[in-house]
Amino acid sequence: MKIAQIAGFLGSGKTTLLIEVAKVLVERGEKVAIVVNDVGEINVDFKIVEAYGLKAKELSGGCICCEIAGNFANTLSLLYSNFNPDIVIVEPSGVAIPWGLKRAAEYSEAEVPVTIEHAPVLTLVDATRIDTLMGTVRRLVVTQVREADVCLINKVDAAHDGGIARAEELIRSVNPHCEIMRISTHQNKGVKEVADIIVDRTSARYDEAVERALLEKEYGSG
Amino acid sequence: MADKMNHIERAMAGLTNEPVDRLLAYPLAMGVCRRLINGTGITYQEWVSDPKKFAQAFIDGQRRFDFDFAIGLMDLSVMAGDLGAHVRMDEQNTPFVDEPLIKDLEGYEKLEVPNIKDPKTRSYVLVEGTGLFVDALGKEVVTAAFLEGPLLALTQTRGAEFVFKDMYDNESSRKAVHAALKTITDYDKEMVKAFAQKKPAGLVWDYLWGSYSCLGDTEYMEFEGDHKYAGCLNELVQKEGMANCIHNCADLPHLDTQIKKWKPAIYSMAYYPLIPGSPSAKETIQKGYADVSLIGGNIDPQGFVRWKTEKMVDMTKKLCNEVITELKARDLGGRYCIASGCEVPPALSTKLENIQACVDTTKQFGTFA
Repeated sequence: MKIAQIAGFLGSGKTTLLIEVAKVLVERGEKVAIVVNDVGEINVDFKIVEAYGLKAKELSGGCICCEIAGNFANTLSLLYSNFNPDIVIVEPSGVAIPWGLKRAAEYSEAEVPVTIEHAPVLTLVDATRIDTLMGTVRRLVVTQVREADVCLINKVDAAHDGGIARAEELIRSVNPHCEIMRISTHQNKGVKEVADIIVDRTSARYDEAVERALLEKEYGSG
Repeated sequence: MADKMNHIERAMAGLTNEPVDRLLAYPLAMGVCRRLINGTGITYQEWVSDPKKFAQAFIDGQRRFDFDFAIGLMDLSVMAGDLGAHVRMDEQNTPFVDEPLIKDLEGYEKLEVPNIKDPKTRSYVLVEGTGLFVDALGKEVVTAAFLEGPLLALTQTRGAEFVFKDMYDNESSRKAVHAALKTITDYDKEMVKAFAQKKPAGLVWDYLWGSYSCLGDTEYMEFEGDHKYAGCLNELVQKEGMANCIHNCADLPHLDTQIKKWKPAIYSMAYYPLIPGSPSAKETIQKGYADVSLIGGNIDPQGFVRWKTEKMVDMTKKLCNEVITELKARDLGGRYCIASGCEVPPALSTKLENIQACVDTTKQFGTFA
């Protein structure tokens, strides 16, 4: 079961991308589930979800940094048992840490006979509001970008060149290894390519990465 | 190895940086201890709705696990619920806000401090329940109340992303956020005074948003650190005769503000190995934070659910060794409590034997010999 996270701050286009990518994947024959954070800001239309044969679950409860992890693992276990999806697309809150969700996803392996794979962590950056975001919630945007495998600069159809360039500059400065794509969920531009990334590529597992980080800390990178 | 100090002697030595027989142990097992009540356990809703049942979990937890502290965390939706947000209560899941109260800027201005003496409020249950377990356990262990800081309670009431957005959207939205923080600070003041009547030794604040992943120093000072918010609340706790303590399980906590500036008696924190800059126990001690406060941390809370007991023993033993080595290097006393970085998940799948293993391993391998 593959987990695809779509991160990004409020208003960056997460829900639209999630739905559009899910539709593309279903059309390609993938069995897709979506998991959304249910604390207020999500407005997934569950009728649309059902119409496209998707399975939707809410992510709920407890402390933002620790306990949601447990609930997410349980949610995935239930999805596996009841629906057995190929791909689970997750829309976490804009204050969630992608590594935390990876870890939680892997915990579901202890509950059901599933092997978790991760798609690259996708972070959306709104090119039309980059100056506002960097002047206001800079820390949160930087955290999301730092954790990304692929940054998706969204709303490029509506943004001016300066905004797109500044978004790219930010991403390069925070996460030089991250791949950058320009998309417009509004115009359906880049959606198929994002679906390709989710299907064709993977990202590091938490347990392996943490083991490596702890060893490096103890013995040095050599 | 048999303990040579009792719980209160050990905790007082740790708080005053004196030598201890062994490291303190307190996995943050609160809600999970409801499973011990009546032998078969009670639902979460029962636990958070009745002061006697709330207190009983701490009493039964102490009898079963032999902790060094008792700290009265209920959950993080208590204040938001009493302010008017809708709280979902599943039978065995932590209660949480499923419909924020504040929907627009006017909503911030409309907040009112609830009547915490009304038995229908969970604030009442929390205060009265804390009093009951303080009465029952106060001569045995160091007890503390637990309370959400203003910014945390506000994010629970509005939704965190919206609060962060409103902080900066424009001058009106910024003012609205401050208006709500003022109301919630007043609410916190009433709670502090009510807790003080129950005579716990300390009060633990949850100041979660003091995290560099979310707010820089300037922003944190404006929206929580300022004297009119956390500053005056910290002072009030001490004025009311309780030790001021802080819990912050965020990934990059504002340690210089929350420890070096505010000097809490206890500071409880988590560790995120993959977050660059997240301090391990060793680094926390090396950087001088245990010089100022008794530090609590940092076993992964999910380990209490997921790990085999052997792994819990190994991880606890490793943490004890790391901490003792660093405390000795800085010539400190018992300034570290082996704890979970956040609450031990209160789920039915949490392994009670892992809580026991964490405590017992600290007793065995947390000694200073």
